[in-house]
Amino acid sequence: MERLPQTFLKISTGVTTVPVMADEKAELTIWSPSDKEAIETWWEEKIAEWNEANPDIQVKREAIDRSDSYAYDNKIATAQTSNDLPDIFFVDGPQVSYYAANGITVPLDDYFTEEDKADFVDSAITQNTYDGKLYAIGATESSVAFYYNKDYLKECGVDVEDLDSRTVENPITWSEFAEIAEKCTTDEYVGAHIIMDHGEGLPYALEPMYLSAGKDYISEDGKEADGYVNSEEAVKTTSFLADLIAKGYANIEPIQDEFLNGACATMIGGSWDASLLEESAEFDWGVTYYPVNDDTKEAVSPCGDWSAAVSKDCENVDAAGQFLSWLMNTDNVASYAAAIAKPATRVSAYDTEAMADYKEGPRALFKEQLENTAVPRPRTPSYATFSSAYAEAMTNIFSDASSNEEVDEDYIQSELDTVAETFTEDYETYYAE
Amino acid sequence: MTKSMKFSAKFGKFMFYFGNIVIGIIFVSPLIWMVSASLKPEAKIFANMDSLMTFLPTQASLANYAEVFSRLNMPLVFKNTLLYIGLILVLDLLVNSMCGYALAKFEFKGKGAILNLVIALMVLPMEAIMLPLYIEMSQLGWVNTMAALVIPFVAKCFSIYMFRQFFCDIPDDLIEAAAIDGSSPAGTFFKIVMPISKTVYATVFILDFVAHWNDFMWPFLVMTGEDKRTIQLAVQSFFGTQPVHYSAIMAALVVSAIPMIIMFIFMQKYYVEGIASSGIKG
Amino acid sequence: MANTKKLSGRKRDERITAYAFVAPAVILLIAFLVVPMIYTVYFSGFKYQIMRPDAMKFIGLENYQKLFSDKNFWIALKNTVYFTVLVVPFQCALALGLALLVSKKFRGVSIFRTMYFSPQLTSMVVISVLWTVLYNANPNTGLINSILTSLGMDPIKFLSDADTAMNSIIFMSAWQGAGYQMMIFLAGLQGIPKDQYEAASVDGANKFKQFLYITIPGLKGTIKYVIMITMIQAMKLFTQPYIMTQGGPKNSTKTLVYYIYTQGFQKGNFGYACSIAAVFFVIVVTMSMAMKKVTAATD
Repeated sequence: MERLPQTFLKISTGVTTVPVMADEKAELTIWSPSDKEAIETWWEEKIAEWNEANPDIQVKREAIDRSDSYAYDNKIATAQTSNDLPDIFFVDGPQVSYYAANGITVPLDDYFTEEDKADFVDSAITQNTYDGKLYAIGATESSVAFYYNKDYLKECGVDVEDLDSRTVENPITWSEFAEIAEKCTTDEYVGAHIIMDHGEGLPYALEPMYLSAGKDYISEDGKEADGYVNSEEAVKTTSFLADLIAKGYANIEPIQDEFLNGACATMIGGSWDASLLEESAEFDWGVTYYPVNDDTKEAVSPCGDWSAAVSKDCENVDAAGQFLSWLMNTDNVASYAAAIAKPATRVSAYDTEAMADYKEGPRALFKEQLENTAVPRPRTPSYATFSSAYAEAMTNIFSDASSNEEVDEDYIQSELDTVAETFTEDYETYYAE
Repeated sequence: MTKSMKFSAKFGKFMFYFGNIVIGIIFVSPLIWMVSASLKPEAKIFANMDSLMTFLPTQASLANYAEVFSRLNMPLVFKNTLLYIGLILVLDLLVNSMCGYALAKFEFKGKGAILNLVIALMVLPMEAIMLPLYIEMSQLGWVNTMAALVIPFVAKCFSIYMFRQFFCDIPDDLIEAAAIDGSSPAGTFFKIVMPISKTVYATVFILDFVAHWNDFMWPFLVMTGEDKRTIQLAVQSFFGTQPVHYSAIMAALVVSAIPMIIMFIFMQKYYVEGIASSGIKG
Repeated sequence: MANTKKLSGRKRDERITAYAFVAPAVILLIAFLVVPMIYTVYFSGFKYQIMRPDAMKFIGLENYQKLFSDKNFWIALKNTVYFTVLVVPFQCALALGLALLVSKKFRGVSIFRTMYFSPQLTSMVVISVLWTVLYNANPNTGLINSILTSLGMDPIKFLSDADTAMNSIIFMSAWQGAGYQMMIFLAGLQGIPKDQYEAASVDGANKFKQFLYITIPGLKGTIKYVIMITMIQAMKLFTQPYIMTQGGPKNSTKTLVYYIYTQGFQKGNFGYACSIAAVFFVIVVTMSMAMKKVTAATD
């Protein structure tokens, strides 16, 4: 901490740090977001189990009461300045590269064998790998698909049986999606719901559209956004979305549970939406695969969830690695995924009793997408900057389309150019060699 | 008094109450919505947002409250919160009123400079100094201790300034008279000025209590661990991971608002008495 | 002779007491506000990615050069001033009106006071979430627009139109915040002697005249204080744009504090964020000093 002007502070401190006695016993602290009761119980049980079997490595978990993921990242950023990070902390998928590139986390390759890694879905390993090394490991995944209100779609004359019969090789296209949205939009109903959280939800849920059109947000190596997020393909894709807003087929300010409340005919929704719909929907609904681009027909789907990483402040990386390799074994992954009601990252977990409901229905579909079409978000240390710039640009583009009731491609181009510039500036300032 | 005057007085009174009730309802509507939402199942919270029906709890149940109490150790959360806010407030009222009194009634070198400092620092947004303050806490070894929650927030420019404004209006004659009776300057403040200034103490108490009751970001950064959870952290814990369950959040919020409402109504007693009843004329 | 000696002794006592009285507050203010502020200014001279304190690099005034040519900074400054200029008179007048309604003792007065104060009892986060839904652009899902359309008016895209977003936040903020200033006005009203009103009443002055010639002058100090704190709080606007609009659409609700926060934490440009914060301090301190001068001159 030499870099700080300490004179101000040292006057009033008197506190000296007591050196920890070097004995064999390791103590590990974990931070993860606080969650529903089932997950809190899962943690208690697992940690008790581990601590009993491993008297040398005692583990303690702190539930972090975050208001949103930005608040959680703030806590990590703040703690890191003063070396107050815990040994292990959870991190959202696309942030893995950011932390790894800045040396906040350490590689975990020594604790997971190739055989182990092969059991995880590709997307989960890819998302957590930076510069060829594995920096985080998670138990759960997420996915997004196309939900539809069967009762209402039938009323509008949409061929619901056709939708039901689609397979991963033969998903609907975006123009079919737009047709359905148009058909179903009335004074009372909107045709489609698109995640509109002005935050990470936008780049997360929409990226496959861009990928399917042929260009990702950012280059494969994570260094360039210019020519990607502002490419011709990206402008065309964005125009398509803005057009849905301009024509009123999708709400610019969709309320929470718009689809569940029956105010909306279809939804590009997350795997997490299925359980609430099963519990409370008062209509018959279905799910089909994430739509594809009309020209390429290339199937892509979103993925990514929170994973555990070991911090730079951890004094016993070996102990942390051992603990994580146990925590992420098939049985634990399966019971965690079942408790939190999310798809598991380990393929073998789906064979367990705990995850029996992934054999059919919407959950089987999400699993199928994860195994076949999932592509993680760009792996670049400047992802956070990209994500907020992209969300801001999309908000502006949608607002413009909604106010003028038509799409202005020049405006879209200029907004996406700004996103590319913002990304480039951040990348070049901090990470370019 | 003629009949028509009596009528117009009655009518005036009616209009006065009517106006108060209408305005009151507009102000209290979010609280009503919050209470109503806290009684609804998740799927119904944002339903009917297009009509006043949204303010009525349909399919009411206490399930959300049951979830709040089973998931959170509410007595501990209240204890933690009341303890740290209580400590801040006791010190806040003492330290800031003393400073405000000195700035209002004493002549000393540097008075102008201190007053300027107080006014200048009022504008400092917490968001801008959060990280340096955290680094300071960490160097003091205060991270994850009560000290980090309390000590940085005892001195408050707003409170000092408010006390000063109030004490300026206390007649000098009163202080003069006490001095002639042999009271020391400090004695005058504690024995004579403080007791007649209940209104301003009550006001600062209410305003600062409310402000700290809503603290989130700072406790979030410096405190870790369920045993140290404060009220807003507890509420935010329901934001967890997707999907966000607003029903439980609303129930947690209602529970969290109850102590404030009680405090507010209770403090008003001191408020209404105030100077008006103390016999001092400004 | 003995008398003057006693007096000067008292003066000395007073001085000692004065220093003892201001010392605790001043020490705490310096330790926990001035020191972090100095840090902020110090960091503003560095290229500093928040995650990489070890790679901090001194770059002199480069952050400030960047700042003055950053169009987002000027937009944020303009928005902050716009919000302040509109919300201060609106909110203060509303607060004074509410205070007058409940300043006298009558049956149920404490219930009404609690009602007016109640938006303060729920956190700004919840108020913002609720109003985001009330302001919803679609008349099928937003209460305010459903009322507008049933009155035969066109729905308004309150939060998703760059022309109306800030005004919508202003209205909501005044409504939420007025209860706070009402409390301060109530304390001020308590200080106006009742007999002044009685005398004026005997002289035949009507309520409006009493308000103009007794209430307003009697509240002069309070009004100054309320305007000042409302102004200062307005300059710090953050939570509402953070939750309701994320600074958009088209930057229309991006304020200085919001910009400092997103630059410093979300994007990790901590050194740069500190330079915005430093400029922000200078602007607001200058403003409040100027205000102090102006109000002192009117005394």
